[in-house]
Amino acid sequence: MNCEDYQDLLSDFIDGLLTPEDHNSIAGHLSVCAVCTDANNDLGAIVGFCLEHRDEYEAVPNERALWLRISNMIEAELSGSAPSAIPENAGWWFRLMNQSWQLSFPQLAAATAAIIIVVTMFTVVSLRSFNFTGGGVSDVSTAGLALPSTGLSVKERFRQQQQVIDYWNERVELNKARWNPQMRETFDKNMGVIDAAVNDSMRQLTQNPHDEVSEEILNAALNDKVELLKEFAAL
Amino acid sequence: MNFYSPTTRNRVSLAAFPALFLVFVINTNAFAQQRVSRHYPAGKNVRIELKNLSGTITVETWARDEIRITATMEAPVVHFNPRQTDTGLVVDIVADNRDRREVGDVNFKIQVPPRSSVDLETRSGQISVSNIQGDLVRAHVWTSGDITLSGVNAARVFASNTTGNIFFDGEFASGGTYEFKSGQGTITLRLPANCGFRLVATAPAEKISMGPFLNGGLKTLGQGRRITGDVGDGRASVTVTNYQGNINFLRR
Repeated sequence: MNCEDYQDLLSDFIDGLLTPEDHNSIAGHLSVCAVCTDANNDLGAIVGFCLEHRDEYEAVPNERALWLRISNMIEAELSGSAPSAIPENAGWWFRLMNQSWQLSFPQLAAATAAIIIVVTMFTVVSLRSFNFTGGGVSDVSTAGLALPSTGLSVKERFRQQQQVIDYWNERVELNKARWNPQMRETFDKNMGVIDAAVNDSMRQLTQNPHDEVSEEILNAALNDKVELLKEFAAL
Repeated sequence: MNFYSPTTRNRVSLAAFPALFLVFVINTNAFAQQRVSRHYPAGKNVRIELKNLSGTITVETWARDEIRITATMEAPVVHFNPRQTDTGLVVDIVADNRDRREVGDVNFKIQVPPRSSVDLETRSGQISVSNIQGDLVRAHVWTSGDITLSGVNAARVFASNTTGNIFFDGEFASGGTYEFKSGQGTITLRLPANCGFRLVATAPAEKISMGPFLNGGLKTLGQGRRITGDVGDGRASVTVTNYQGNINFLRR
């Protein structure tokens, strides 16, 4: 037997419950082992103290209830002590990064699904905002002046787009003198078609300011006008 | 031996003069025009990008793995420098002749393998594409010019002009995107009876004719200026916009 085996038998040794052989064996070991002798002395002192004060304590009425209370108190202290690791004046990023995250598998799966849905919706919305202007399959070039963003009232957007159109119109007028009569006629004729669409949409919107179809046609026609001006401004 | 009287000879001379003048004019034009034809080796899935100033563009398919491009130029000194890329061929008459004032019409005839993609653009002039079955067919006329797409079976088709008709005779692939837009001309789509697509068609009131594709699932918005809804399985996305002209759907 080693020291661990001897120490397991110390309680019975002190109480005198061992067989004579085991008793002699432990006694022989204690005579040569200082560690086990110390353990025997400590345990003997505890047992002796308990025997001396046996009648001074009342029996615990419900040992299991007592243990549960103790267990709850220990857990409460452990959970209460965790946040104290983060300083009071720590920033949100420090708090976030030092936060302990424990997710169950369903929670993790739900979080992943939520992220996928949000990214998908964002992608779909981005693709739908792509506006077919006829100027190209890829993104429309916005060299020079950019088109005003959406989210404004129709009149304000029209006013801003008109500024962009005026800018490109000036550039076209500068170049127009160099064009041959045929090109000038073609340009004017086609610009007239787009202007007619713009005017028609504006008239419809005057009668019904909430007409979404007219608003979309107006935006598309104004975009087409800007693209046509930009194309011919380069000539 | 003289078979003609003096009077008759005078009449013959007078009659021959306009004919001689006509021959002279034709010969002058023939000398003024320049025709250039070039061949390029290509795989089965090539992409042609062409940006023209004015003139007609005709794209046809043939059963060869090569591209033939023929340009007929009004002005003999037009710069014409096709550039081969990893995926195909780029022809940019606009960039090649940026510093020139008068370029005139350049008429193109391009022959490509059927699985090619074509991206065509001109400031004015007609565009005609037939029997293309590649990924993309794009035809854009900035101002005036008809667009004819026949026998086209591509996943993405974009056709737009400001003045002129657009005619599409082909099929819509499931999941494909198809956009047609004109300022004033008539847009006609000729489709097989069993084709399915999700439609957004916009034109002035009562100028959209769904023909045999009219069904109860289509909704009318904006006092008849827009029709939306599914035809068949609704798997392809079709957007048709006409500011002033008609939109017609026909069955093959």
